Amino acid sequence: MKTFKALVKREFWEHKGSFFYAPAVMVIVFAVMLVVFGLSGDRLIIDGEHEISFSEQLPKVVSSFEQLPEEAKEKAVTIGLSAPAMLFGFVMLFISMFYCLNSLYEERKDRSILFWKSLPVSDIETILSKFVSVVFLVPAIYFAVIVVFQLFILIYVTVGSWFGGGSGVTIWTASNLFALWFNMLVAMIGGSLWLAPLWGWFMLASSWAKKVSFLWGGLPIMLVIVCEGYIFRTTEFAQLIGERIAEGFAIQNYALYQLAGGDILDFEVNSALHSFVSAEFWGGLIVAAVLLSGAVYIRRFRDES
Amino acid sequence: MSTIIRANGLSKSYGSFQALKNVNFTVERGKIVGLVGPNGAGKTTILKAILGLTSYSGELDVLGLEPSKQRHQLMQKVCFIADVAVLPKWMKVKEAVEFVTEVHPHFNLDRAKHFLNKTNIKLNSKVKELSKGMVAQLHLALVMSIEAELLVLDEPTLGLDILYRKEFYNQLLAEFFDEGRSILVTTHQIEEVENLLTDLIFIRDGEIVLDSSMEEIGDKYVEVMVSREDAEKAKALNPVMERDVFGRKVYLFEGVGREQLEALGELHSPSVADLFVAKMKEGK
Repeated sequence: MKTFKALVKREFWEHKGSFFYAPAVMVIVFAVMLVVFGLSGDRLIIDGEHEISFSEQLPKVVSSFEQLPEEAKEKAVTIGLSAPAMLFGFVMLFISMFYCLNSLYEERKDRSILFWKSLPVSDIETILSKFVSVVFLVPAIYFAVIVVFQLFILIYVTVGSWFGGGSGVTIWTASNLFALWFNMLVAMIGGSLWLAPLWGWFMLASSWAKKVSFLWGGLPIMLVIVCEGYIFRTTEFAQLIGERIAEGFAIQNYALYQLAGGDILDFEVNSALHSFVSAEFWGGLIVAAVLLSGAVYIRRFRDES
Repeated sequence: MSTIIRANGLSKSYGSFQALKNVNFTVERGKIVGLVGPNGAGKTTILKAILGLTSYSGELDVLGLEPSKQRHQLMQKVCFIADVAVLPKWMKVKEAVEFVTEVHPHFNLDRAKHFLNKTNIKLNSKVKELSKGMVAQLHLALVMSIEAELLVLDEPTLGLDILYRKEFYNQLLAEFFDEGRSILVTTHQIEEVENLLTDLIFIRDGEIVLDSSMEEIGDKYVEVMVSREDAEKAKALNPVMERDVFGRKVYLFEGVGREQLEALGELHSPSVADLFVAKMKEGK
């Protein structure tokens, strides 16, 4: 257990940039933009005719918000807080993909694998630590960063409403923060777990690739799609993968998806908690386990001078 | 004395190329064994087999474990430095120390700190900011702080300047090596290790051509410097090698009586390098 913790910590050290600094910088940039916008963007002119006076508008928006019925308030706050989360979630999936593609390739490229292998750590532990990083650690860090940003938005809007004479309290009461956070954390981890077969595949490609690991991650999938199209004139495989990714993203942003009517995709999407009891979820984990076993096997027996 | 490594009929092929052909050897506890051979002779393959980094056929026993199946158990007792440049560049020195502390049950943190304090390495530096020599010092500090029974070194001083190379081996002898431990080392710079070694193994084309202790070698191989006039007499005794030095001839003999040779001229122990050249040319 101590070893495993050290391995996950190691992943964090190595990928601090994409795991932590990237979302943290996003938060800072957005926050600064909002502040600058609020202070100086008094007159924002769009298309040369529509004038928005931010410091006048914000209190108005807040006070009209306060006129809304409870349910609509909650909906508005959920959208207001979850929409930025979606942006972070998208970045997270993106960095997760590159993380997996490089996870077992970089160490061979820079030959540090010889150092890792000189320590009493099994290949299974090593690969599991990387998998755990992508499905638990990364979502947890992104979650924490999003929470900070959401708190900032709430404070920002509250302060804005003070200028209009309001108290801003209703925004907080309508936000159901703890329920929202719990659902968001589960959704982010659930979305990543849903995509486990994809991570497993990228890690297998990464352990296999001699050069440019992202080509090994992408080309075989393309090849299967092209072959299937050519031989059977069908697109089953492409659909399977496309749906899986779309579902993963929808699970991750389930709160928004539901508020948007829940029918953007032409198949049913479950919340993360519901997806945990679906066959597709466990099937995906089994596929991931098979792919990861392949990666373990290759890392163990690969012989490179 | 106990045996640390026992190889019996060890073979390895890469496609149709036979890198190791039925190799047999043992390494005993408390020995420093030099594994020497030209490029492509199979040195690295032997080391990789011992470290569980490659598959092989035949029997191989390292500290009672089978390397190809039990690498991670084996690594509790065995350390290796593959070459100087394998420490991950992104890592900070203190992270490397912390990581090894947490994953290695036989790592002694105080010892590591003691070794690092003697260098100019800063704990907050990243590996990529260190000079090559400092990376080697760091790696050596980590390895020497592990209570290992076997240390495997594959060209450990490659690319280092002479000061670091000397210090590397001096430190290893002074701070790490004792009767309970063994060191197996491959290197191109034989002169540097020749005074350290207790045993020598030569390998050529996947076969072992020499395997003996340094004492045996001193008894068995003798170099004689002979004037040109006596050259024919010396040749009659079947030298394994001849070379010219300052207008005189130097002959290397294997297993020829000292009394017989003393009559011809001055006797010397051959350097490992000369012995190596002779052995590599033998039969070619």
